[in-house]
Amino acid sequence: MNTAGRILILTGVILIACTMAFGVGYALFDEHQTLVGMGMHMATGFMEASNGNMEAAYSALDSYGALTQEYRNEVHSHGHWGMLSLILIVLGLVFDRLGLEQRKGVLLASLLAASTALFPLGVLLQIGPAASLGKILSMAGSIGMILGLLATVYGLFRSNDT
Amino acid sequence: MAHIELSSLEAQGPLASDSQRLLTIGGILLIVIGMLFGDIFAMFVLHPNNARIGEAMYTASQLIPAGDADGILAQFMAIGGFLENRGTKVDTHSHIIHMGYIALLLAMLQPWVALSPTVKQRTAWLFIVSALLLPMSIFSIYYLGLAYSPLGHIGWGSILADFFGALLALAMFIQFWGLWRYRQSQSERVQLAHPRSTNGASRALLVGGLLLLVSGFLYGAGYAAWTQTGGGGSEVEILKNIVTHAAASEQELLGADFGAFGNYQMYRAINIAVHTHINEMGILLLLMSFVQGFIHYRDSTRQRWAQLAIVSGFGLPIGILMEIKFGIFGSIVADFFGFTMIVSLTAMLFGLLRYTGARDSEKGDAA
Repeated sequence: MNTAGRILILTGVILIACTMAFGVGYALFDEHQTLVGMGMHMATGFMEASNGNMEAAYSALDSYGALTQEYRNEVHSHGHWGMLSLILIVLGLVFDRLGLEQRKGVLLASLLAASTALFPLGVLLQIGPAASLGKILSMAGSIGMILGLLATVYGLFRSNDT
Repeated sequence: MAHIELSSLEAQGPLASDSQRLLTIGGILLIVIGMLFGDIFAMFVLHPNNARIGEAMYTASQLIPAGDADGILAQFMAIGGFLENRGTKVDTHSHIIHMGYIALLLAMLQPWVALSPTVKQRTAWLFIVSALLLPMSIFSIYYLGLAYSPLGHIGWGSILADFFGALLALAMFIQFWGLWRYRQSQSERVQLAHPRSTNGASRALLVGGLLLLVSGFLYGAGYAAWTQTGGGGSEVEILKNIVTHAAASEQELLGADFGAFGNYQMYRAINIAVHTHINEMGILLLLMSFVQGFIHYRDSTRQRWAQLAIVSGFGLPIGILMEIKFGIFGSIVADFFGFTMIVSLTAMLFGLLRYTGARDSEKGDAA
Protein backbone atom coordinates (compact mmCIF):
# COMPACT_ATOMS: atom_id res chain seq x y z
CA MET A 1 0.00 0.00 0.00
CA ASN A 2 1.40 3.40 -0.94
CA THR A 3 1.75 6.42 1.39
CA ALA A 4 -1.34 8.18 0.01
CA GLY A 5 -3.48 5.07 0.55
CA ARG A 6 -2.12 4.72 4.08
CA ILE A 7 -2.98 8.37 4.87
CA LEU A 8 -6.55 7.84 3.68
CA ILE A 9 -7.14 4.53 5.46
CA LEU A 10 -5.54 5.60 8.77
CA THR A 11 -7.43 8.93 8.80
CA GLY A 12 -10.65 7.08 7.95
CA VAL A 13 -10.21 4.52 10.74
CA ILE A 14 -9.29 7.19 13.33
CA LEU A 15 -12.22 9.43 12.35
CA ILE A 16 -14.66 6.47 12.44
CA ALA A 17 -13.46 5.61 15.96
CA CYS A 18 -13.85 9.28 17.02
CA THR A 19 -17.31 9.69 15.50
CA MET A 20 -18.51 6.40 17.05
CA ALA A 21 -17.30 7.60 20.46
CA PHE A 22 -19.00 10.97 19.84
CA GLY A 23 -22.20 9.18 18.77
CA VAL A 24 -22.31 6.94 21.86
CA GLY A 25 -21.69 9.90 24.20
CA TYR A 26 -24.22 12.05 22.37
CA ALA A 27 -26.91 9.31 22.40
CA LEU A 28 -26.38 8.64 26.12
CA PHE A 29 -26.11 12.19 27.48
CA ASP A 30 -27.60 14.67 25.01
CA GLU A 31 -29.84 13.38 22.22
CA HIS A 32 -32.79 12.17 24.31
CA GLN A 33 -32.84 15.40 26.35
CA THR A 34 -32.65 17.51 23.18
CA LEU A 35 -35.53 15.64 21.49
CA VAL A 36 -37.72 15.89 24.61
CA GLY A 37 -36.83 19.59 24.87
CA MET A 38 -37.82 20.20 21.24
CA GLY A 39 -41.21 18.53 21.76
CA MET A 40 -41.83 20.37 25.03
CA HIS A 41 -40.97 23.80 23.55
CA MET A 42 -43.34 23.29 20.62
CA ALA A 43 -46.18 22.01 22.82
CA THR A 44 -45.57 24.93 25.24
CA GLY A 45 -45.86 27.35 22.31
CA PHE A 46 -49.33 25.99 21.48
CA MET A 47 -50.45 25.78 25.13
CA GLU A 48 -49.35 29.33 25.96
CA ALA A 49 -51.24 30.56 22.88
CA SER A 50 -54.35 28.74 24.16
CA ASN A 51 -53.95 30.70 27.43
CA GLY A 52 -53.75 33.93 25.42
CA ASN A 53 -50.12 34.54 26.42
CA MET A 54 -48.68 35.19 22.94
CA GLU A 55 -45.30 36.55 24.10
CA ALA A 56 -44.59 33.33 26.02
CA ALA A 57 -45.82 31.31 23.03
CA TYR A 58 -43.42 33.09 20.63
CA SER A 59 -40.56 32.72 23.11
CA ALA A 60 -41.19 28.96 23.42
CA LEU A 61 -41.27 28.60 19.61
CA ASP A 62 -38.00 30.55 19.32
CA SER A 63 -36.44 28.12 21.83
CA TYR A 64 -37.82 25.24 19.73
CA GLY A 65 -36.14 26.74 16.63
CA ALA A 66 -32.76 27.17 18.37
CA LEU A 67 -32.82 23.63 19.79
CA THR A 68 -33.86 22.17 16.42
CA GLN A 69 -30.92 23.89 14.70
CA GLU A 70 -28.55 22.58 17.39
CA TYR A 71 -29.91 19.04 16.99
CA ARG A 72 -29.57 19.17 13.18
CA ASN A 73 -25.96 20.37 13.38
CA GLU A 74 -25.00 17.66 15.89
CA VAL A 75 -26.62 14.86 13.90
CA HIS A 76 -25.23 16.17 10.58
CA SER A 77 -21.66 16.39 11.86
CA HIS A 78 -21.86 12.86 13.34
CA GLY A 79 -23.37 11.40 10.15
CA HIS A 80 -20.98 13.21 7.81
CA TRP A 81 -17.89 12.16 9.79
CA GLY A 82 -18.99 8.51 9.59
CA MET A 83 -19.89 8.46 5.91
CA LEU A 84 -16.91 10.52 4.75
CA SER A 85 -14.55 8.27 6.74
CA LEU A 86 -16.03 5.27 4.97
CA ILE A 87 -15.36 7.00 1.63
CA LEU A 88 -11.74 7.69 2.69
CA ILE A 89 -11.14 4.00 3.47
CA VAL A 90 -12.67 2.89 0.15
CA LEU A 91 -10.60 5.47 -1.76
CA GLY A 92 -7.50 4.33 0.15
CA LEU A 93 -7.98 0.82 -1.24
CA VAL A 94 -8.13 2.02 -4.86
CA PHE A 95 -5.77 4.99 -4.71
CA ASP A 96 -2.86 3.21 -6.39
CA ARG A 97 -5.06 2.82 -9.50
CA LEU A 98 -5.12 6.57 -10.12
CA GLY A 99 -1.81 6.73 -11.93
CA LEU A 100 -0.65 9.81 -10.00
CA GLU A 101 2.96 10.63 -9.12
CA GLN A 102 3.68 9.88 -5.46
CA ARG A 103 3.94 13.55 -4.42
CA LYS A 104 0.67 14.49 -6.13
CA GLY A 105 -1.01 11.42 -4.67
CA VAL A 106 0.06 12.35 -1.14
CA LEU A 107 -1.14 15.94 -1.67
CA LEU A 108 -4.53 14.76 -2.94
CA ALA A 109 -4.88 12.25 -0.08
CA SER A 110 -3.98 14.98 2.45
CA LEU A 111 -6.59 17.31 0.93
CA LEU A 112 -9.28 14.62 1.15
CA ALA A 113 -8.28 13.63 4.71
CA ALA A 114 -8.18 17.25 5.95
CA SER A 115 -11.53 18.06 4.29
CA THR A 116 -13.16 14.99 5.86
CA ALA A 117 -11.96 16.07 9.31
CA LEU A 118 -12.76 19.79 8.92
CA PHE A 119 -16.16 19.84 7.19
CA PRO A 120 -18.16 18.12 9.99
CA LEU A 121 -16.09 19.94 12.64
CA GLY A 122 -17.17 23.22 11.04
CA VAL A 123 -20.83 22.14 11.15
CA LEU A 124 -20.46 21.27 14.86
CA LEU A 125 -18.70 24.54 15.72
CA GLN A 126 -21.62 26.53 14.26
CA ILE A 127 -23.59 25.71 17.46
CA GLY A 128 -21.33 27.57 19.89
CA PRO A 129 -19.59 30.94 20.12
CA ALA A 130 -17.18 30.05 17.28
CA ALA A 131 -20.02 29.96 14.72
CA SER A 132 -18.17 32.19 12.20
CA LEU A 133 -15.07 29.98 12.32
CA GLY A 134 -17.38 26.99 11.95
CA LYS A 135 -18.91 28.42 8.77
CA ILE A 136 -15.45 29.07 7.28
CA LEU A 137 -14.25 25.55 8.17
CA SER A 138 -17.36 23.84 6.80
CA MET A 139 -17.16 25.83 3.54
CA ALA A 140 -13.42 25.13 3.15
CA GLY A 141 -13.97 21.43 3.95
CA SER A 142 -16.84 21.19 1.50
CA ILE A 143 -14.86 22.83 -1.34
CA GLY A 144 -11.82 20.68 -0.52
CA MET A 145 -13.90 17.51 -0.67
CA ILE A 146 -15.50 18.44 -4.02
CA LEU A 147 -12.13 19.34 -5.58
CA GLY A 148 -10.50 16.21 -4.12
CA LEU A 149 -13.21 13.91 -5.49
CA LEU A 150 -13.08 15.61 -8.91
CA ALA A 151 -9.28 15.16 -8.97
CA THR A 152 -9.76 11.48 -8.08
CA VAL A 153 -12.21 11.00 -10.97
CA TYR A 154 -9.74 12.78 -13.29
CA GLY A 155 -6.96 10.48 -12.05
CA LEU A 156 -9.08 7.43 -12.78
CA PHE A 157 -9.88 8.63 -16.31
CA ARG A 158 -6.18 9.33 -16.91
CA SER A 159 -5.14 5.90 -15.65
CA ASN A 160 -7.71 4.33 -18.00
CA ASP A 161 -6.25 6.24 -20.96
CA THR A 162 -2.72 5.12 -20.17
CA MET B 1 -3.29 -22.58 7.89
CA ALA B 2 -0.91 -19.81 9.10
CA HIS B 3 -2.27 -16.29 8.91
CA ILE B 4 0.41 -15.19 6.38
CA GLU B 5 -0.54 -18.01 4.00
CA LEU B 6 -4.22 -17.18 4.48
CA SER B 7 -3.58 -13.44 3.99
CA SER B 8 -1.78 -14.12 0.69
CA LEU B 9 -4.77 -16.14 -0.50
CA GLU B 10 -7.25 -13.48 0.67
CA ALA B 11 -5.28 -10.79 -1.14
CA GLN B 12 -5.83 -12.64 -4.43
CA GLY B 13 -9.58 -12.24 -4.17
CA PRO B 14 -12.29 -11.21 -1.74
CA LEU B 15 -13.76 -14.70 -1.54
CA ALA B 16 -10.72 -16.84 -0.79
CA SER B 17 -11.43 -17.56 2.87
CA ASP B 18 -14.61 -18.48 4.74
CA SER B 19 -14.61 -15.20 6.68
CA GLN B 20 -14.32 -13.17 3.46
CA ARG B 21 -17.15 -15.11 1.80
CA LEU B 22 -19.35 -14.63 4.82
CA LEU B 23 -18.67 -10.89 5.00
CA THR B 24 -19.01 -10.28 1.24
CA ILE B 25 -22.15 -12.35 0.67
CA GLY B 26 -23.65 -11.32 4.03
CA GLY B 27 -22.87 -7.67 3.26
CA ILE B 28 -24.60 -7.73 -0.13
CA LEU B 29 -27.61 -9.54 1.37
CA LEU B 30 -27.86 -6.93 4.14
CA ILE B 31 -27.82 -4.11 1.55
CA VAL B 32 -30.50 -5.85 -0.56
CA ILE B 33 -32.71 -6.43 2.52
CA GLY B 34 -32.21 -2.79 3.63
CA MET B 35 -33.18 -1.43 0.21
CA LEU B 36 -36.24 -3.70 0.00
CA PHE B 37 -37.28 -2.52 3.47
CA GLY B 38 -36.78 1.11 2.36
CA ASP B 39 -39.08 0.58 -0.66
CA ILE B 40 -41.84 -0.96 1.51
CA PHE B 41 -41.37 1.64 4.27
CA ALA B 42 -41.64 4.57 1.85
CA MET B 43 -44.84 3.21 0.30
CA PHE B 44 -46.80 2.01 3.33
CA VAL B 45 -45.49 3.91 6.37
CA LEU B 46 -43.74 7.17 5.50
CA HIS B 47 -46.48 8.98 3.56
CA PRO B 48 -49.49 7.92 5.73
CA ASN B 49 -47.48 8.75 8.87
CA ASN B 50 -46.63 12.27 7.61
CA ALA B 51 -50.33 12.86 6.93
CA ARG B 52 -51.21 11.76 10.52
CA ILE B 53 -48.63 14.19 11.97
CA GLY B 54 -50.14 17.05 9.94
CA GLU B 55 -53.67 16.11 11.07
CA ALA B 56 -52.64 15.99 14.75
CA MET B 57 -50.99 19.43 14.51
CA TYR B 58 -54.07 20.86 12.82
CA THR B 59 -56.27 19.40 15.57
CA ALA B 60 -53.97 20.93 18.23
CA SER B 61 -54.28 24.34 16.56
CA GLN B 62 -58.09 24.02 16.54
CA LEU B 63 -58.00 23.56 20.35
CA ILE B 64 -56.13 26.87 20.91
CA PRO B 65 -59.18 29.22 20.84
CA ALA B 66 -61.00 26.98 23.38
CA GLY B 67 -57.97 27.14 25.72
CA ASP B 68 -57.89 23.32 25.88
CA ALA B 69 -54.27 22.85 27.06
CA ASP B 70 -54.81 19.17 27.97
CA GLY B 71 -56.21 18.42 24.53
CA ILE B 72 -53.21 20.15 22.90
CA LEU B 73 -50.79 18.13 25.03
CA ALA B 74 -52.59 14.91 24.06
CA GLN B 75 -52.17 15.79 20.36
CA PHE B 76 -48.45 16.43 20.82
CA MET B 77 -48.10 13.12 22.70
CA ALA B 78 -49.70 11.46 19.65
CA ILE B 79 -47.25 13.31 17.36
CA GLY B 80 -44.40 11.94 19.53
CA GLY B 81 -45.72 8.42 18.83
CA PHE B 82 -45.95 9.05 15.07
CA LEU B 83 -42.41 10.43 15.06
CA GLU B 84 -41.14 7.37 16.96
CA ASN B 85 -42.86 5.11 14.43
CA ARG B 86 -41.23 6.99 11.56
CA GLY B 87 -37.82 7.37 13.26
CA THR B 88 -37.41 3.68 14.11
CA LYS B 89 -38.30 2.70 10.51
CA VAL B 90 -35.75 5.15 9.08
CA ASP B 91 -33.14 3.88 11.55
CA THR B 92 -33.86 0.24 10.65
CA HIS B 93 -33.50 1.02 6.91
CA SER B 94 -30.25 2.98 7.31
CA HIS B 95 -28.66 0.60 9.87
CA ILE B 96 -29.17 -2.53 7.70
CA ILE B 97 -27.61 -0.80 4.67
CA HIS B 98 -24.71 0.74 6.62
CA MET B 99 -23.93 -2.61 8.29
CA GLY B 100 -23.83 -4.11 4.79
CA TYR B 101 -21.31 -1.45 3.69
CA ILE B 102 -19.11 -2.13 6.72
CA ALA B 103 -19.29 -5.91 6.10
CA LEU B 104 -18.06 -5.40 2.50
CA LEU B 105 -15.30 -3.12 3.73
CA LEU B 106 -14.21 -5.66 6.36
CA ALA B 107 -14.12 -8.38 3.67
CA MET B 108 -11.63 -6.24 1.72
CA LEU B 109 -9.50 -5.57 4.79
CA GLN B 110 -9.26 -9.28 5.76
CA PRO B 111 -5.77 -9.80 4.22
CA TRP B 112 -4.43 -7.29 6.73
CA VAL B 113 -6.17 -8.83 9.76
CA ALA B 114 -3.53 -10.99 11.46
CA LEU B 115 -5.70 -13.54 13.31
CA SER B 116 -6.20 -17.30 13.02
CA PRO B 117 -8.78 -18.51 10.44
CA THR B 118 -11.07 -19.78 13.24
CA VAL B 119 -11.07 -16.41 15.05
CA LYS B 120 -11.63 -14.58 11.75
CA GLN B 121 -14.58 -16.79 10.85
CA ARG B 122 -16.19 -16.55 14.30
CA THR B 123 -15.76 -12.77 14.30
CA ALA B 124 -17.35 -12.57 10.84
CA TRP B 125 -20.33 -14.61 12.09
CA LEU B 126 -20.60 -12.39 15.18
CA PHE B 127 -20.65 -9.30 12.96
CA ILE B 128 -23.19 -10.59 10.43
CA VAL B 129 -25.62 -12.02 13.03
CA SER B 130 -25.42 -8.84 15.18
CA ALA B 131 -25.77 -6.68 12.05
CA LEU B 132 -29.04 -8.46 11.28
CA LEU B 133 -30.40 -8.46 14.85
CA LEU B 134 -29.55 -4.81 15.64
CA PRO B 135 -31.95 -3.35 13.01
CA MET B 136 -34.61 -5.93 13.98
CA SER B 137 -34.35 -4.72 17.58
CA ILE B 138 -34.63 -1.08 16.45
CA PHE B 139 -37.72 -2.02 14.41
CA SER B 140 -39.32 -3.59 17.50
CA ILE B 141 -38.84 -0.48 19.72
CA TYR B 142 -42.11 1.15 18.58
CA TYR B 143 -44.17 -2.06 18.88
CA LEU B 144 -42.77 -3.42 22.18
CA GLY B 145 -42.83 -0.06 23.96
CA LEU B 146 -42.25 -0.49 27.71
CA ALA B 147 -44.01 -3.89 27.97
CA TYR B 148 -42.34 -6.18 30.58
CA SER B 149 -39.37 -3.81 30.70
CA PRO B 150 -37.13 -4.06 33.79
CA LEU B 151 -36.24 -0.36 33.38
CA GLY B 152 -38.57 2.58 33.91
CA HIS B 153 -38.21 4.42 30.59
CA ILE B 154 -36.26 2.08 28.29
CA GLY B 155 -38.09 -0.83 26.63
CA TRP B 156 -36.84 -4.28 25.59
CA GLY B 157 -36.39 -3.11 21.98
CA SER B 158 -33.86 -0.46 23.04
CA ILE B 159 -32.12 -2.85 25.47
CA LEU B 160 -31.69 -5.47 22.73
CA ALA B 161 -30.54 -2.81 20.23
CA ASP B 162 -27.88 -1.65 22.71
CA PHE B 163 -26.84 -5.27 23.33
CA PHE B 164 -26.38 -6.07 19.64
CA GLY B 165 -24.67 -2.69 19.15
CA ALA B 166 -22.18 -3.72 21.86
CA LEU B 167 -21.61 -7.08 20.09
CA LEU B 168 -20.94 -5.22 16.83
CA ALA B 169 -18.46 -2.97 18.64
CA LEU B 170 -16.78 -6.14 20.01
CA ALA B 171 -16.54 -7.62 16.49
CA MET B 172 -15.06 -4.35 15.19
CA PHE B 173 -12.60 -4.23 18.10
CA ILE B 174 -11.38 -7.76 17.27
CA GLN B 175 -10.91 -6.71 13.62
CA PHE B 176 -8.95 -3.59 14.64
CA TRP B 177 -6.86 -5.75 16.98
CA GLY B 178 -6.04 -8.02 14.02
CA LEU B 179 -5.05 -4.99 11.93
CA TRP B 180 -2.88 -3.76 14.78
CA ARG B 181 -1.20 -7.20 15.08
CA TYR B 182 -0.46 -7.15 11.35
CA ARG B 183 1.15 -3.73 11.73
CA GLN B 184 3.22 -4.92 14.71
CA SER B 185 4.45 -8.16 13.07
CA GLN B 186 7.11 -6.44 10.93
CA SER B 187 9.31 -9.54 10.68
CA GLU B 188 6.47 -11.79 9.50
CA ARG B 189 4.90 -9.26 7.16
CA VAL B 190 4.62 -10.18 3.52
CA GLN B 191 4.00 -7.79 0.64
CA LEU B 192 0.35 -8.32 -0.16
CA ALA B 193 -1.15 -7.56 -3.51
CA HIS B 194 -4.22 -5.32 -3.45
CA PRO B 195 -7.58 -6.98 -3.76
CA ARG B 196 -8.23 -5.45 -7.15
CA SER B 197 -10.60 -5.74 -10.03
CA THR B 198 -9.55 -3.95 -13.17
CA ASN B 199 -12.21 -5.01 -15.65
CA GLY B 200 -14.54 -2.60 -17.48
CA ALA B 201 -17.45 -3.16 -15.08
CA SER B 202 -15.24 -2.34 -12.10
CA ARG B 203 -13.95 0.88 -13.69
CA ALA B 204 -17.44 1.96 -14.70
CA LEU B 205 -18.75 1.42 -11.16
CA LEU B 206 -15.75 3.25 -9.67
CA VAL B 207 -16.19 6.28 -11.94
CA GLY B 208 -20.00 6.20 -11.56
CA GLY B 209 -19.69 6.02 -7.77
CA LEU B 210 -17.23 8.91 -7.59
CA LEU B 211 -19.37 11.05 -9.90
CA LEU B 212 -22.38 10.37 -7.68
CA LEU B 213 -20.38 11.40 -4.61
CA VAL B 214 -19.30 14.67 -6.29
CA SER B 215 -22.94 15.30 -7.29
CA GLY B 216 -24.06 14.54 -3.72
CA PHE B 217 -21.60 17.04 -2.31
CA LEU B 218 -22.57 19.73 -4.81
CA TYR B 219 -26.26 19.12 -4.08
CA GLY B 220 -25.68 19.28 -0.32
CA ALA B 221 -23.61 22.47 -0.62
CA GLY B 222 -26.25 24.06 -2.88
CA TYR B 223 -29.08 23.15 -0.49
CA ALA B 224 -27.12 24.46 2.52
CA ALA B 225 -26.44 27.77 0.70
CA TRP B 226 -30.14 28.02 -0.29
CA THR B 227 -31.39 27.50 3.27
CA GLN B 228 -28.71 29.81 4.78
CA THR B 229 -29.91 32.62 2.51
CA GLY B 230 -33.53 32.17 3.65
CA GLY B 231 -34.73 29.87 0.86
CA GLY B 232 -37.67 27.67 1.84
CA GLY B 233 -38.81 30.04 4.62
CA SER B 234 -38.45 29.72 8.36
CA GLU B 235 -40.15 26.92 10.31
CA VAL B 236 -40.38 29.07 13.45
CA GLU B 237 -42.06 31.95 11.58
CA ILE B 238 -44.64 29.54 10.11
CA LEU B 239 -45.34 28.07 13.57
CA LYS B 240 -45.75 31.58 15.04
CA ASN B 241 -48.26 32.37 12.29
CA ILE B 242 -50.14 29.14 13.08
CA VAL B 243 -50.56 29.93 16.80
CA THR B 244 -51.40 33.61 16.07
CA HIS B 245 -54.09 32.81 13.49
CA ALA B 246 -55.42 29.87 15.54
CA ALA B 247 -55.78 32.10 18.63
CA ALA B 248 -57.66 34.68 16.53
CA SER B 249 -59.83 31.90 14.95
CA GLU B 250 -58.84 33.07 11.44
CA GLN B 251 -59.52 29.77 9.70
CA GLU B 252 -58.63 30.87 6.18
CA LEU B 253 -55.20 32.17 7.20
CA LEU B 254 -54.68 29.11 9.38
CA GLY B 255 -55.32 26.88 6.39
CA ALA B 256 -52.72 28.84 4.40
CA ASP B 257 -50.24 28.51 7.30
CA PHE B 258 -50.67 24.74 7.35
CA GLY B 259 -50.17 24.70 3.60
CA ALA B 260 -46.89 26.59 4.07
CA PHE B 261 -45.89 24.25 6.92
CA GLY B 262 -46.57 21.18 4.77
CA ASN B 263 -44.53 22.64 1.90
CA TYR B 264 -41.65 23.50 4.24
CA GLN B 265 -41.57 19.94 5.65
CA MET B 266 -41.87 18.42 2.17
CA TYR B 267 -39.01 20.49 0.66
CA ARG B 268 -36.78 19.76 3.62
CA ALA B 269 -37.48 16.01 3.73
CA ILE B 270 -37.11 15.56 -0.05
CA ASN B 271 -33.91 17.61 -0.33
CA ILE B 272 -32.27 15.71 2.53
CA ALA B 273 -33.42 12.38 1.09
CA VAL B 274 -31.99 13.30 -2.35
CA HIS B 275 -28.62 14.34 -0.84
CA THR B 276 -28.43 11.19 1.34
CA HIS B 277 -29.45 8.78 -1.41
CA ILE B 278 -26.98 10.23 -3.97
CA ASN B 279 -24.14 9.65 -1.49
CA GLU B 280 -25.38 6.22 -0.38
CA MET B 281 -25.66 5.05 -4.00
CA GLY B 282 -22.16 6.46 -4.67
CA ILE B 283 -20.63 4.47 -1.83
CA LEU B 284 -22.54 1.34 -2.88
CA LEU B 285 -21.18 1.57 -6.46
CA LEU B 286 -17.62 2.08 -5.14
CA LEU B 287 -17.91 -0.98 -2.89
CA MET B 288 -19.39 -3.15 -5.64
CA SER B 289 -16.53 -2.16 -7.97
CA PHE B 290 -14.15 -4.17 -5.76
CA VAL B 291 -15.85 -7.51 -6.32
CA GLN B 292 -16.43 -7.28 -10.10
CA GLY B 293 -13.41 -9.45 -10.93
CA PHE B 294 -14.94 -12.29 -8.94
CA ILE B 295 -18.38 -12.30 -10.50
CA HIS B 296 -18.55 -15.44 -12.59
CA TYR B 297 -20.28 -14.11 -15.74
CA ARG B 298 -19.12 -13.22 -19.26
CA ASP B 299 -17.66 -9.71 -19.55
CA SER B 300 -20.67 -8.42 -21.45
CA THR B 301 -23.15 -9.80 -18.87
CA ARG B 302 -21.10 -8.37 -15.99
CA GLN B 303 -20.99 -4.98 -17.69
CA ARG B 304 -24.74 -5.04 -18.25
CA TRP B 305 -25.44 -5.57 -14.54
CA ALA B 306 -22.91 -2.85 -13.65
CA GLN B 307 -24.60 -0.45 -16.10
CA LEU B 308 -28.00 -1.23 -14.57
CA ALA B 309 -26.56 -0.50 -11.10
CA ILE B 310 -25.13 2.85 -12.30
CA VAL B 311 -28.39 3.90 -14.01
CA SER B 312 -30.33 2.90 -10.87
CA GLY B 313 -27.84 4.80 -8.67
CA PHE B 314 -28.57 8.01 -10.58
CA GLY B 315 -32.28 7.26 -11.18
CA LEU B 316 -33.27 6.67 -7.54
CA PRO B 317 -32.35 10.17 -6.22
CA ILE B 318 -33.73 11.78 -9.41
CA GLY B 319 -37.05 10.02 -8.72
CA ILE B 320 -37.07 11.35 -5.15
CA LEU B 321 -36.38 14.88 -6.46
CA MET B 322 -39.26 14.52 -8.94
CA GLU B 323 -41.64 14.06 -5.98
CA ILE B 324 -41.56 17.86 -5.47
CA LYS B 325 -43.12 18.57 -8.86
CA PHE B 326 -44.85 15.32 -9.80
CA GLY B 327 -45.82 13.87 -6.39
CA ILE B 328 -46.67 10.15 -6.52
CA PHE B 329 -45.20 9.75 -10.03
CA GLY B 330 -41.79 10.71 -8.60
CA SER B 331 -42.23 8.12 -5.84
CA ILE B 332 -43.00 5.46 -8.46
CA VAL B 333 -39.84 6.39 -10.41
CA ALA B 334 -37.75 6.25 -7.19
CA ASP B 335 -39.25 2.89 -6.19
CA PHE B 336 -38.68 1.53 -9.71
CA PHE B 337 -34.97 2.41 -9.64
CA GLY B 338 -34.70 1.11 -6.07
CA PHE B 339 -36.09 -2.18 -7.37
CA THR B 340 -33.73 -2.30 -10.39
CA MET B 341 -30.80 -1.69 -8.02
CA ILE B 342 -31.96 -4.64 -5.91
CA VAL B 343 -32.20 -6.80 -9.07
CA SER B 344 -28.69 -5.76 -10.14
CA LEU B 345 -27.22 -6.49 -6.70
CA THR B 346 -28.95 -9.87 -6.57
CA ALA B 347 -27.55 -10.75 -10.00
CA MET B 348 -24.06 -9.80 -8.81
CA LEU B 349 -24.57 -11.93 -5.70
CA PHE B 350 -25.43 -14.95 -7.88
CA GLY B 351 -22.29 -14.26 -9.93
CA LEU B 352 -20.20 -14.31 -6.75
CA LEU B 353 -21.80 -17.58 -5.63
CA ARG B 354 -21.01 -19.10 -9.05
CA TYR B 355 -17.39 -17.99 -8.60
CA THR B 356 -17.07 -19.60 -5.17
CA GLY B 357 -18.67 -22.77 -6.50
CA ALA B 358 -16.25 -22.89 -9.45
CA ARG B 359 -13.26 -22.31 -7.17
CA ASP B 360 -14.34 -24.99 -4.70
CA SER B 361 -14.88 -27.38 -7.57
CA GLU B 362 -11.37 -26.68 -8.94
CA LYS B 363 -9.90 -27.30 -5.50
CA GLY B 364 -11.81 -30.57 -5.27
CA ASP B 365 -10.56 -31.69 -8.68
CA ALA B 366 -6.97 -30.79 -7.78
CA ALA B 367 -7.18 -32.79 -4.55
